[in-house]
Amino acid sequence: MYAIGDKYIVPALKEHARRKFKRYTTEEEMTVSELMEHGFDQAVKLVYTTPPNYRPLRNLVVKIAFKYQAILVSSESFLEAIESTPAFRRDLFLFRLTETSSNAMFNLSSLVQKAQQFIDPTLSPLNPGSDRRPSKATLFRSQFRLPASQNPLQEITAELTLAPHHTQRGPQNEGSRGEKDGTRVQGNHYVGKLHLSEQYLLFSTQGSSFLNTASLSASSAFTGQTHGAGPAGNGFILPLCAIRRVERLPTHSYMFALAITTWNGSGDGKGKGSGSSGGQKLTIQMAGSRQQCERFCDGLKKGLREGVKEVENLRAVVSECYSEFLLSELSDEKGGPENHDSGMREPPDTGLGKIYKYPGNVRKLRDATKMRLWREEMKENGRNATLVRQPTFHKLIRVGLPNRLRGEIWELTSGSFFERLQNPKLFEETLKKYEGRESLAIDEIEKDLNRSLPEYPGFQEEEGIGRLRRVLTAYSWINPDVGYCQAMNIVVAALLIYMSESQAFFLLSVLCNTLLPGYYSQTMYGTLLDQRVFESLVEKTMPILWEHLVRSDIQLSVVSLPWFLSLYINSMPLIFAFRVLDVFFLEGPKVLFQIGLAILRINGEELLDATDDGTFISILKSYFSRLDESAHPNSENPKLRAVTRFQELMVVAFKEFTGITQNTISEQRAKHKDAVLDSIESFAKRTSIRNLGPESKRLSSNDLGFIYDRFYGVLYERQQRLQTIQAEADRKTKNARTKATEVVTGVPSNTVETGRVGLGPSATQMDYDTFREFLAGITRWAVTDSPSTPLQDSQSEKQHSYFGNSLKGRPVNLSPWGAGPEPTDHEFMKRLFQKWDKDNTGALTLQNVVAGFAQVKGTKDIMSNISYFFELYDDDGDGKVDREGILRISEALLFLSRRGFERSLSSSPSMNDLQTQVSSETREGRRENRDEQFLSSVSAFIRRCFEYADPDQQRTEGEVKEAAAGIDNFSIGDDEDDLLDLGNNEKPTSPKKSQSPQTPRPNQAAANAALDPNNPLFITLPTFRMVILADEVLENFFDSAFSNSFKLFDPSIPSSTSLSANLTTFSNAGAPGRGSNVTLPVGGASAGVAAPGKGIRGMLDNIVSDGMRVAAEVRRRMDEAQRELDRAATGRDEDSEDEHDDLRTPRGKGDPETRSVMDTDRELLEGAETADVGVSKPVENLMDREIGAPAPVAESTKGEELFER
Amino acid sequence: MADTGAASAPKPSSSVKLVLLGEAAVGKSSLVMRFVNNDFQENKEPTIGAAFLTQKISLSTRTIKFEIWDTAGQERFASLAPMYYRNAQAALVVYDITKPSSFTKAQHWVSELQRQASPNIVIAVVGNKADLASNDPPPSTSAPISDGDGIVAVPTDGGEGELEDEEETIRKVPVRTAKAYADEEKALFFETSAKTGHNVAEVFTAIANQIPETALKGPRGAGGAQTQRTEERGRVDLGVRESGAKEGCAC
Ligand SMILES: Nc1nc2c(ncn2[C@@H]2O[C@H](COP(=O)(O)OP(=O)(O)OP(=O)(O)O)[C@@H](O)[C@H]2O)c(=O)[nH]1
Ligand SMILES: [Mg+2]
Repeated sequence: MYAIGDKYIVPALKEHARRKFKRYTTEEEMTVSELMEHGFDQAVKLVYTTPPNYRPLRNLVVKIAFKYQAILVSSESFLEAIESTPAFRRDLFLFRLTETSSNAMFNLSSLVQKAQQFIDPTLSPLNPGSDRRPSKATLFRSQFRLPASQNPLQEITAELTLAPHHTQRGPQNEGSRGEKDGTRVQGNHYVGKLHLSEQYLLFSTQGSSFLNTASLSASSAFTGQTHGAGPAGNGFILPLCAIRRVERLPTHSYMFALAITTWNGSGDGKGKGSGSSGGQKLTIQMAGSRQQCERFCDGLKKGLREGVKEVENLRAVVSECYSEFLLSELSDEKGGPENHDSGMREPPDTGLGKIYKYPGNVRKLRDATKMRLWREEMKENGRNATLVRQPTFHKLIRVGLPNRLRGEIWELTSGSFFERLQNPKLFEETLKKYEGRESLAIDEIEKDLNRSLPEYPGFQEEEGIGRLRRVLTAYSWINPDVGYCQAMNIVVAALLIYMSESQAFFLLSVLCNTLLPGYYSQTMYGTLLDQRVFESLVEKTMPILWEHLVRSDIQLSVVSLPWFLSLYINSMPLIFAFRVLDVFFLEGPKVLFQIGLAILRINGEELLDATDDGTFISILKSYFSRLDESAHPNSENPKLRAVTRFQELMVVAFKEFTGITQNTISEQRAKHKDAVLDSIESFAKRTSIRNLGPESKRLSSNDLGFIYDRFYGVLYERQQRLQTIQAEADRKTKNARTKATEVVTGVPSNTVETGRVGLGPSATQMDYDTFREFLAGITRWAVTDSPSTPLQDSQSEKQHSYFGNSLKGRPVNLSPWGAGPEPTDHEFMKRLFQKWDKDNTGALTLQNVVAGFAQVKGTKDIMSNISYFFELYDDDGDGKVDREGILRISEALLFLSRRGFERSLSSSPSMNDLQTQVSSETREGRRENRDEQFLSSVSAFIRRCFEYADPDQQRTEGEVKEAAAGIDNFSIGDDEDDLLDLGNNEKPTSPKKSQSPQTPRPNQAAANAALDPNNPLFITLPTFRMVILADEVLENFFDSAFSNSFKLFDPSIPSSTSLSANLTTFSNAGAPGRGSNVTLPVGGASAGVAAPGKGIRGMLDNIVSDGMRVAAEVRRRMDEAQRELDRAATGRDEDSEDEHDDLRTPRGKGDPETRSVMDTDRELLEGAETADVGVSKPVENLMDREIGAPAPVAESTKGEELFER
Repeated sequence: MADTGAASAPKPSSSVKLVLLGEAAVGKSSLVMRFVNNDFQENKEPTIGAAFLTQKISLSTRTIKFEIWDTAGQERFASLAPMYYRNAQAALVVYDITKPSSFTKAQHWVSELQRQASPNIVIAVVGNKADLASNDPPPSTSAPISDGDGIVAVPTDGGEGELEDEEETIRKVPVRTAKAYADEEKALFFETSAKTGHNVAEVFTAIANQIPETALKGPRGAGGAQTQRTEERGRVDLGVRESGAKEGCAC
């Protein structure tokens, strides 16, 4: 019944809420009280009662929460809201994980930016998809260079017929099939596939299929062999909003035929008697069943209706294209009356070249001729958005673009035009949004502004420098992972000669995202990878040269790296580099390889004489400087003499190396990817370990390496896992997306492998949950006793702690733990975490962890180990641990020992002594005895502690209550001198002297005495030390067992292959399904399960849990006593209780009688499950994220025609 | 010095691979340009990947041809560095005396080299842009440095304190700190200015003198015309500046 109610409320609510929340996301900062005043906590709950498919609202709330996390965690009511809303908790967690994979600097503001970046697309109704896509989508987008929002919705085999003249109308059915080389006799026919995406209608002669039913191989049937046509082949990529009219033609056959009239043809005006001026018309015959055809048409109709909304965008974007000006000027010449008012007077910005001259000699470049040819081409085949690609198009590109059209064609062929169409104002808005902000990237950019193409006059003045600054800065904001990389300045400077700032901005973004994947990333893995690929191609295609290079120890990549990184721009004279770019933007990255190979091939003979790097480089330098000379200066044939070296280069590149396709590149990338990433990672590891600071010196380099591997391994695994969960939640996704991306680029998509150091910025901080998992991999005690079954994982995944750093609230963590042992949760672990988290950031850096281990393992000194432990429990650092603390210590000792110290103890000499003392036949027998012994030692510990504890300052009854109220924090520790005496005498202040030191366990009376809240007491470090040293078992524990319980690098472990793999790079350690359990000593993952009936092992566990029960019992009594006191003291002591509760967390709420680690976990699990009842399942939610945009409102259909505007 | 006892007759020529490392824009390329072409440019394009140049230097007993690898300084290019310092016999680790961060980065490079590069690599720590700290009286930088131990003895606290106060805003890495560090790492130390040319040739000469005779390989291959060409182009008169430098290598 709620559901029904919701249905009616929601539309109103969401509007209201969205309006209201918008405020929060604006720049003004709010305080927590303000937020609460606005009822943010209530809002959270409310929003999460709406049906989960109203994603944007939830996103908004999450975004706000994230933005204000620092202050919100201090609000009880907000924490309560989190606790009562598991779905919210999960969203926060997901959001955080997706967003925090930031740079080493954990910078909240940058997180927020990323957050916005993450959220905005989902908020936009134009982008119903987010980053989870159907399997073939990546291939589809890659072939057509479409924005990420596009998916293949429909496809059908079809034949495209192009009217030979735009004045002629109607289909040219009798056209000469096969004459595809531009003869305009009767129109051209192309057979290919017609595709439909959300916003595009596409036709390509590259007949690949992207249907869901198509196998992956069918969809990658496109081999990359483009023969100069580029991946999109011949055909068109029409934004639906550029289609003016679609008619179904009457055909004699059963087939469907559509006539499509595009936006062009009547200037840029609209509705001036549509089609009357002979608009560009395409005819398409569909070849498919009637049903298929109808389905396609329905989809098209729907898309066209949606497209209406974008006409304005298109208008704006197109107005920046020079072709519009060119053609309208043309119409003006003709005196077309309808163009007088709408024609553009001011030519659009075609780059700095317009002001400072384009490089090269205009006459020599035959710019005017090229321009004329292009004008013809566009008159017939459409321009910018509506351009239909026929073979002439590709040929015109091969011969070099005319200056003023260069920018525009780059934009079209690279696909950045479509990005701009999608978000025309992004550049300006980004600049505005971040105006006045500073960043590291900006500093770096500033350093290089004067150092970018300094010989070009435009960059000697503020005009050019300013443009460069704005483009680079804006890009560094929208892609903070890349930020700024040297070489980008050179590339962008070059682009700016031919295009506007906004155009260059989008083109840069396409470069970084798809054309040069990973080139400019933090680790530059893409650059390194492609160098490896290039080398291997040289080896394949020019084995003799390759062998020579190897023999002479000349490292090729040293020469070729700048070629790729700056797209030949500062290797060749500019005019030639631009010719390379012309082809590169059309045909893709393979062009860089083809050119590079051709350079080597042409200079091959000379290079074979070079025996050192210097000679090698200077040969190529001089070659580049003579590219404009004749390739055959001595030839008789004047035509041959006229061929320049550059022309020769192009011919060799595209004829001789025509076999180098996108597929070749992808395959090679896939082949070398791991080696390259490994080497980057081992470099990163070395560097990172070296810079860890002085504390790290206390650990062996093996240990450091091990910690590094585990640290990043766990972070990586967790990210991977999270992604898997997300992927699984979306049925469409499965694994194909990973594959698809890799098939296309050969470079792992960054989203798929985030966390891998080699790929760039990844998480560098460990929250508490990750820390637990980390510990579980290296200690036995941190492994849970009651692992949740894998089946529950997806259920309980929402139980992740939200901000990870908040120890308030309930850190219930039953996320799937992957293949490794599932960690338990214990107060001790939390304390350790807090202690290591020196800066109180709520997360540990590698440095924190190393420093932590340096303290735990770096000292072989028992005294410092004891004080370390003591300090862990000395919350306020006053040198005293109170009754509560003593109990906690004993609990921790039992916790740590509950699985024994098998390996560590037996390997320590002192324990060997112990073993000989313990009469023992079998190993198990020894263990059993040891465990029992430990238990009794802990009991004795508690007893002695209370025995030797100092009474707190207040000895008179009158002050007792105060003391109980937590005043002991302020007591003055003047009792140390007494200690020696006290060691021998009964404590005078102990009210009951009935405790007997000989009792192996504290009996009731003793416990009561110790726990009497009327008798506040504390121990100091010297007391603690004495008590420890009084017991051999405990002494041994502190001497070695504790620090040995952390298993770091252990060369003594028999040469298990998986382990040694573990030590080399973390990528191995982090391999899913391996990793953690190999590092777990002896028991392995199974040790986590304490099966009660499991022989001796079970018995031992029983003993241990007995021990735990003792401690629990002690605590229960104490609690009881406390409660009694509370009743008497009218709750004056609440403050101190709260404090304890915070630290104690899960235990505080359980039933003390049955409390054991196992039980607590159970409870929490159950609690978690029940908490979820009535809340949407996570799986659904994850899907909502993808498809959750509000359904478009249907508009009334129009007329008989399929579409008309 | 290793080379003093070496053969006397026609000076043997040998090549030495030298790599320049250091933070972006500290002036690595400028140092090389000063050394190779005796030239300085205000606006130099950042180095992409690495640049390669050669320069010969004539010592009393032999001629050394430096094959210089000038690397890119931006942090993210660091992972490319192993490609360039591979087999290097000498390294110039450059920092900018006005940028403390660049000194830290230099220290990282030194330890990277010590662990990863060829075991006998000769390292020089070079503080560039010394011209900016113009308040340094010329002798106080150059003289003590080339004297090796002298620098440690120089300062009465008062005197140097004054000096540091004056230039406080410009110089951020004290000579003493850097020198002490270099000594500890058994590296050469110089302060240079690519702009004025101060100490530039001295660095290279000192390095050349440090290269043990045994580590030298002959000129690679038959060379041919190409090699000749570069060598001639790169030749620079080092005769004058060469003299004062030998003390630089206090080993
Ligand atoms: N005042 C002064 N400026 C210098 C000196 N050396 C270099 N510069 C300037 O510092 C800037 C950077 O010089 P580069 O030589 O390009 O620096 P780099 O270390 O090669 O930089 P990357 O190639 O980016 O790593 C240029 O503007 C130089 O003019 C110097 O000795 N004194
Ligand atoms: Mg440089």
